[in-house]
Amino acid sequence: MHTLFTLATLAAAIRLAVPVAVAALGEVLTERSGVLNLGLEGTMLFGALAGYTGARLGGPWLGLLAGLGAGAACGAVLALLMVVVRADQIVTGLAFTLFAVSATTYLFELSYTIGEPPPRIESLSMVPLVAIVLAVLVGVWFLLTRTVAGLVLTAAGDAPGAADALGYRVARVRSAATVVGCALGGLAGAMLVCGPLGLFVQNVTAGRGWVALALVVFARWRPGRAVAGALLFGLCDAAQLRLQGTATAIPYEVFLALPYLVTLVALMVRARRSDTPAALAIPFVRGRST
Amino acid sequence: MTLTDPHPPKAPSGPDGVLARLLDHPARGSRTALVAVPALALLGALVVGGVLMAIEGVAPLSAYGEVVRGVFGRSRGLSDTAVVATPLILLALGITVAYRARVFTIGAEGQYLAGALAGTAFATAAPLRALPAAVLLPCALVVAVLTGAAWSGLTGWLQSRFGASVVITSLLLNYVAAAALAWAVRVGIRDPGAFTPQSRPVAGLPDLPGTEIHLGFLFALAAVPALAVVLRRTRFGFRVEVLGASPEVLAVNESRPAATRLTVLAVAGAFAGLAGFVEVAGVTERMTPAFATGYGFTAIIVALLGRLRPVGVLVAALVLAGLTVGFDEAERVFVIPSATVGVIQALIIVFFVAGDALSRRKAG
Repeated sequence: MHTLFTLATLAAAIRLAVPVAVAALGEVLTERSGVLNLGLEGTMLFGALAGYTGARLGGPWLGLLAGLGAGAACGAVLALLMVVVRADQIVTGLAFTLFAVSATTYLFELSYTIGEPPPRIESLSMVPLVAIVLAVLVGVWFLLTRTVAGLVLTAAGDAPGAADALGYRVARVRSAATVVGCALGGLAGAMLVCGPLGLFVQNVTAGRGWVALALVVFARWRPGRAVAGALLFGLCDAAQLRLQGTATAIPYEVFLALPYLVTLVALMVRARRSDTPAALAIPFVRGRST
Repeated sequence: MTLTDPHPPKAPSGPDGVLARLLDHPARGSRTALVAVPALALLGALVVGGVLMAIEGVAPLSAYGEVVRGVFGRSRGLSDTAVVATPLILLALGITVAYRARVFTIGAEGQYLAGALAGTAFATAAPLRALPAAVLLPCALVVAVLTGAAWSGLTGWLQSRFGASVVITSLLLNYVAAAALAWAVRVGIRDPGAFTPQSRPVAGLPDLPGTEIHLGFLFALAAVPALAVVLRRTRFGFRVEVLGASPEVLAVNESRPAATRLTVLAVAGAFAGLAGFVEVAGVTERMTPAFATGYGFTAIIVALLGRLRPVGVLVAALVLAGLTVGFDEAERVFVIPSATVGVIQALIIVFFVAGDALSRRKAG
């Protein structure tokens, strides 16, 4: 085990935690406003593809920007369906993620011949990526705890009727939170491919959006804890990659499952004392909801 | 799939009023919209798919002609469709039970793998595999069903004991099942004589007389009316409806919502486990790393398009399976990206969700 906790493992942990952390921060924003976005995994996938395409055209920074934009576009579609039309949030999010898996695969197959390895892109180093995570963390934390906008957003998720009575448009607040949250989700996807990975492959996010969703519950909807949870996930993932290479008595598949098992256990520890936004996943209808 | 009502009915406007309100869930809205919305979603997705193919330089009408010919125009088209539809029907029936109760599990894929693995492990274990297939296969099916039910029931227990959301835990368990599959075919139940990781072969399910459709399709066909009767006529079916409409009503009246939720999840998992082993015994004959093909996710589309009704599920599964089989054939003739059929299937569900919400809003 002494080979496990080296600086290299720690660096890998941070690298693996970065996209999950940004996606989880976005989802914290969205869920605090009362919208449960199960389309996060799909948003990350679209962001990853946009990031890859952007980076091919104009370098990794353009890639990140493209991911942000693609995420915001996904957020607009999701907000339209979940907030404006008031489709069931769980079903909509699921459908969107299923769609994203097929659509990104299709778009990717369209642009690159199968069999040929897709070209690698110039990748960003860890320093700017970590800086982005910290900036997003501070931004989300500041917005939620130090601004009126954050208070209104939280009210839309906890007592939408009261927010409405005070003259705030709940649907607008929730739509905005969904668009911004998804923009961060798209950025997270772009950070995944424009980071050390430098590649897009089919289903590149491999469930990281779902892990981010789980982390939001684990973090009890607090931004700081969400980032800490992402680091924990990154550590498990790094340990898995590290141990796959070394011959151990334990089959490496155990470590494949480990990040997900740890997230499960974390949910068992954390979920009970819940700070769930009271109106999470409940659409707001004026005059009918409290 | 009605919107969650924050106000459970408190003062009944006559018992009939409450019951009617509870039971018109989940497919509120007119009878026309019931069929029209999925049909229009299918049509819209086919149109968009056609536009995509046209951009690719493939004439959409001749491509769709080839898809239709692939299903109806050759001897194996229909039997292939039935075989592809079989796991989808079984998985989607399980999802139907869960989603009617508004228990949103997305763990069907993992339960399918777990059931298939357990059934295969049982049927290929050293002392047992010598048994005649007529004894071995039913026992292995039971093992698969129980494993699927347990895998799914675990998420129900995690919810009632720890308050962990079924949506999240069921999904996380899919990854655990995928890792278990990877280990099992590499080490656990590996065929020692095989060069690549795979299990020993399982005795195959017999074909239906005069066809090339395996017996599993008959299971799926029989399960459709059986589940319809259970949902409509039994106490369990009633509990499923009430849990979906309002857990509070269930709690004050007769039983614990948590217990019903656990049963619902176990039933969903049982169907998934059955689907898994039926697929091994009927189609693949061995477990390989390629066994996980995402049927558990496609089945969610099937269940929703089928309006969470057993008969609807049957129709939706046959349509989606027909698309898959037809496109397989069309890809031999035209240069179509293999992801096209996936995009069309996913577009169906996106259009359906949007159309459903819109029609509900108009109906008020």
